[in-house]
Amino acid sequence: MLSESARMTTAHEASFRIQYPNSKPRAAKVIALDGESAKLVDEIAQQKWNGAKFFTSLSFASGAEPGTTGAGMKAWLSDLAGRAMDLVAEVAESDFVVVITAAGEDARAVSVVADACKLHNKTLIGLVVPKAGASEADVGASLDHLRPHTRMLVVASGRDYIEVMLTALRA
Amino acid sequence: MLRKEQNDYLCQTNAGTPMGEMFRCYWMPALLSEELPEPDCPPVRIKLLGERLLAFRDSEGKLGLIDEFCAHRGVSLWFGRNEECGLRCPYHGWKYDVTGQCVDVPSEPEESGYAKKIKLKSYPLIEKGGVLWTYMGPPEKQPPEPMWEFCTVPLNQSFMTKRLQENNWLQAMEGGIDSSHVSFLHRGDLSNDPLFKGAAGNKYNLGDMRPVFEVVENEGGLLIGARRNAEDDQYYWRITPWVMPCYTGVPPRGDHPIHGHFWVPIDDENCWAWSYDYHPTRPLTESEVAAMKDGKGIHVKYVPGTYRPLANKDNDYLMNRAAQKAGKTFSGIEGIGMQDASLQESMGPICDRTKENLVGTDNGIIMARHRLMRAAKALVEKGITPPGVDPEHHKVRQAALLLKRDVQYKDGAKEALKVKPGVRQTSV
Ligand code: FES
Ligand SMILES: [Fe+2]
Repeated sequence: MLSESARMTTAHEASFRIQYPNSKPRAAKVIALDGESAKLVDEIAQQKWNGAKFFTSLSFASGAEPGTTGAGMKAWLSDLAGRAMDLVAEVAESDFVVVITAAGEDARAVSVVADACKLHNKTLIGLVVPKAGASEADVGASLDHLRPHTRMLVVASGRDYIEVMLTALRA
Repeated sequence: MLRKEQNDYLCQTNAGTPMGEMFRCYWMPALLSEELPEPDCPPVRIKLLGERLLAFRDSEGKLGLIDEFCAHRGVSLWFGRNEECGLRCPYHGWKYDVTGQCVDVPSEPEESGYAKKIKLKSYPLIEKGGVLWTYMGPPEKQPPEPMWEFCTVPLNQSFMTKRLQENNWLQAMEGGIDSSHVSFLHRGDLSNDPLFKGAAGNKYNLGDMRPVFEVVENEGGLLIGARRNAEDDQYYWRITPWVMPCYTGVPPRGDHPIHGHFWVPIDDENCWAWSYDYHPTRPLTESEVAAMKDGKGIHVKYVPGTYRPLANKDNDYLMNRAAQKAGKTFSGIEGIGMQDASLQESMGPICDRTKENLVGTDNGIIMARHRLMRAAKALVEKGITPPGVDPEHHKVRQAALLLKRDVQYKDGAKEALKVKPGVRQTSV
């Protein structure tokens, strides 16, 4: 007699996996931290996504410098249509947050996003994409900005990885 | 998640498929040297990348890997007589040499030259580091010999095993770069397994269950760094190299031998999990070798006379619910190798990735799939040699080390990640 495991691991049995969805769409927020990555995010945002929202630039409310923390923090994201949105509110209703920077660009705005993530206990994923002419040191500088804040930090060799990763995460 | 076409693209490795063509660019472990121990020993049947092959060592010790079936009427040459520099089919006596060339067709006069017209497909088979390696691609593109450190050290410094794993290669390989499962599935073994316990670094693993990851692409594949908090403004880093298409290294622990794997497709529903252990600078001790032979560390115990694990799906992997409940093992299965294999086999022969829900910390896996697809496409469309073929890409070491918090592991661990003959591994 075959054991239960032996019977259950055949290709035939695999065909009986139920076809009901096992997850609901997750709210991903994708935030470009600099002008260079903003261009990429802008392009990617044109495609069809499962509710992912894209933000292409950050502007800060007066008085709130990068690094300001606490519930009183006000930072503003500007979404694709150029509307100003409340960063903390956006993060609050997210399932995870992705920040993107092009190697060597000023990514300091990450600290504000990170504060919002900390406030609402959301996972922050950081992605460093290449920039023409950027050096190893540039990549290092980007990592220095992102490392203290991200749970997962990826240095990709191609810009197409943004899309690949978001698709893999069902964003 | 992957779309069905992407999943098929990555999982299928028979001849003519894109991933199949890519695998055929590399030297791959085919057999252990111990399987063909001496001239004229019994031949061994082996399936790789969906091709049925027969390996043998002729009277002069030459190695051959040829089509398993006789060109005359198709019987398996496994029944053949290995004698006088060739393998003779027992049915009508046709005889083949290690290159698959037919050298004798007894029914035909020798002068007729009939035998010269018959040749079985064959692949080169070379011996290095206790392993017989084959290359199944076009002869004109055969790369230089593999240079993995474990196969370049003296034989008494290394130990290699293989085990049958009854599922597609990719879900097995993905386990090798899935650093976040260690804190759960293998929790019990850090403190108990003779080949893991006692390392100073273990306390960081057990003390910080939410590691932070950094994934960096390099020439041959990926470096996946997992960092945990350590004392004095330091991080404890464990860095796993993945070299395309199917090599994964496990970061070391203390002065224990270093280990890692190859995940080699047999067909689309089975693979060989190869497990190596070696020490760069010293012979393995008797007790280390005894533990490895006893199935400790990443090795397994076998069904006698086979390379099938003793705990396998036919006996429900010897599931022990009491040990699971007591926290001795996290899954109820004993041994690191079988803890992984049992779960990976449970996914089904080919994992359906359309149903998975990956999280941010799975980026190592996402990136590896992406690179495999990218490389296979570049190979098939433009003839570009994939990463990992160049033996320079083999010269990477896994590492475990403490670094100041402001130091990037790519810099701080730069030297640790290089193979340096005669230099001890970097390990905590
Ligand atoms: S928790 Fe990862 S497969 Fe179930
Ligand atoms: Fe594992």
